Amino acid sequence: MKIDPKTFTKDYLLHLCIQCGTCTGGCPVKYRSPLNMRRLVRETYFTDPFPSLSKRAEIWACTTCSTCSLRCPSGVKNVELLMAIRNYLANKGEVPSTIRDALENTLMQGNPWGRFRDRRADWAKALGVKIFGEATSETLFYVGCAPSYDPRVQRVATALVKIFQNAGVDFAILGKKESCCGNEIRRMGEQALFKKLAKDNTILFKKLGIKKIITTSPHCYNAFQNEYPDLNLPVQHYTQVLVHLIETGHLHFSKELGTSVTYHDPCFLGKQNKVFEEPRKILASIPQCEFMEMERSRERSLCCEGGGGRMWAEGGTEGKRNAEIRIREAVSLGAKTLATACPFCLLTFEDSVKTSGLADQIAVKDIAELVDETTK
Amino acid sequence: MNIIVCVKRIPKTAEADIFIEKDNKDIKKDNLVFALNDWDGYAVREAVLLKEKFEGEVIVLTVGPDESKEVLTRCLAMGADRAIRIEEPIPNDGRLIAETLAKVIQTGPFDLILTGVQAEDDGWGQVGVALAQILGIPHASIVTHIHIEGGKAKVRRELEGGLEELLEIKLPAVLTIQTGINEPKYVSLAAILEAEDKETKEMTLEEIGFSPREPLDATIDQVSFPPTGKRAEILKGTPDEVVGQLTEIIKRKKGS
Ligand code: SF4
Ligand code: SF4
Repeated sequence: MKIDPKTFTKDYLLHLCIQCGTCTGGCPVKYRSPLNMRRLVRETYFTDPFPSLSKRAEIWACTTCSTCSLRCPSGVKNVELLMAIRNYLANKGEVPSTIRDALENTLMQGNPWGRFRDRRADWAKALGVKIFGEATSETLFYVGCAPSYDPRVQRVATALVKIFQNAGVDFAILGKKESCCGNEIRRMGEQALFKKLAKDNTILFKKLGIKKIITTSPHCYNAFQNEYPDLNLPVQHYTQVLVHLIETGHLHFSKELGTSVTYHDPCFLGKQNKVFEEPRKILASIPQCEFMEMERSRERSLCCEGGGGRMWAEGGTEGKRNAEIRIREAVSLGAKTLATACPFCLLTFEDSVKTSGLADQIAVKDIAELVDETTK
Repeated sequence: MNIIVCVKRIPKTAEADIFIEKDNKDIKKDNLVFALNDWDGYAVREAVLLKEKFEGEVIVLTVGPDESKEVLTRCLAMGADRAIRIEEPIPNDGRLIAETLAKVIQTGPFDLILTGVQAEDDGWGQVGVALAQILGIPHASIVTHIHIEGGKAKVRRELEGGLEELLEIKLPAVLTIQTGINEPKYVSLAAILEAEDKETKEMTLEEIGFSPREPLDATIDQVSFPPTGKRAEILKGTPDEVVGQLTEIIKRKKGS
């Protein structure tokens, strides 16, 4: 939705705000930046601050975790308002330079890192994966940008391929034809580019006769499930697929994990899409996996700060990163592994486990990796 | 103040795998993405900034086939007022590009011409300088700062070894623009779609009164990869292993 100066107070339901402050109270970056959602809602309601908003770095501090919107007792569309402000800024070209590069890269190469499109499926070369165009399938394994290019997350994509093959799932990937889903693009304010990606991807999926989509990332899952207007295909996050494979006896565990694991709910999987049980069910079925629950879990999970374009933003926040706070939480709980189910969470935790010097006390893993290790 | 900016559409090669065509005369381009030459982007932005200060018109100009229109559209989205494309395959010879551009430029009044320092693809760095010579006006190359005052431009040029040269130059003039002279704005897709409605004039060589093949264009005999340097060491292994090896090397070098 666009900012229309005449109607935006109604469009984003700003007039319903009772200034209770719940939004700011739950905001994961409130201690790390001047971002104050309660104030922002009030200011945009009373004045026309758009020209001055471009000067405020904190607009880019929001991770779009959606805690504010989900908890708002009045149903104010806080995150949509924030994304619309970013859209207003993007259309004027006033975005931070690293965000600018991510957006331009996505238009050119189909991924925010600007990596070469032809190399998108290099990670899968030795895995014997079917690629649409050369082969066909009803099920698309939509890999995603980070799992395609980032060496750490490529290990997750590889683990998933092995699990699917192991369980006899028929699927194919798009290879070079895969483009960014646009979830973060929309959140960085580039609504027009998001629309283009959604349209192009939808046309491609339909043309290839795809009947069902599995995603690595909760972010892609969210885009396909909630934000592609004409897709109308069943979409599953991989954790949902794995639970089904385990419950129907297609996936057998052959090894014991032999360690303790706690689980971090990714915002886009947990609080935003209510997939809470599946990851826990998977962990519960892994032999010798001692599951420990952190105090802040499920809806209350602490955002890792990897969403909303923060992967490409620089600065705008200060002090200890949430990912580091989260690692310390997991360590003090006594867990030897911090598991998650999202490429961005995985990367922010991997960074923080190193910068905090706790790499010898806790390992950061994706649930897919834990399943792959124990089902070989 | 009327400013003409000469731009070029180039293939992006930094992240790409490069292969050479069978006839050894060019690199394979069908898997590459094309974009506005980086230097030219800074030149267009600089022109738009000058226009904001002094008013006037920014015209972007290119020599190139139909596909080149997309970079003109981008320039229009960046704030240029109108665009002209000379319908012709991009010559290899910088001098020939300059001659072609000059034919169009000579037909109207202008105060300033900006080009990028060089093109990302062939890197000749000739067009701006040759253009000034043909038009008989002064020029400054590798410009990192422009200050306009009373029919003159005070410009800073980048020299080797971190030195800078400060020049005063009479307008009209040609300045070749170095990257980093300004902070490029983001060009949104919405702005690009809107810019498609702005005026782009297309002209043939005939229409500009330029007889083709005179002077002869340079031809490329052969392209090849540079030989691998003897002292280059490519580290092999997983990212973790490579980082380990690299750290060792840096430690060793630091000690020596
Ligand atoms: S939670 Fe909702 S009602 Fe409360 S201050 Fe925030 S926007 Fe207003
Ligand atoms: S979406 Fe999350 S980070 Fe952004 S303002 Fe709301 S609570 Fe804060």
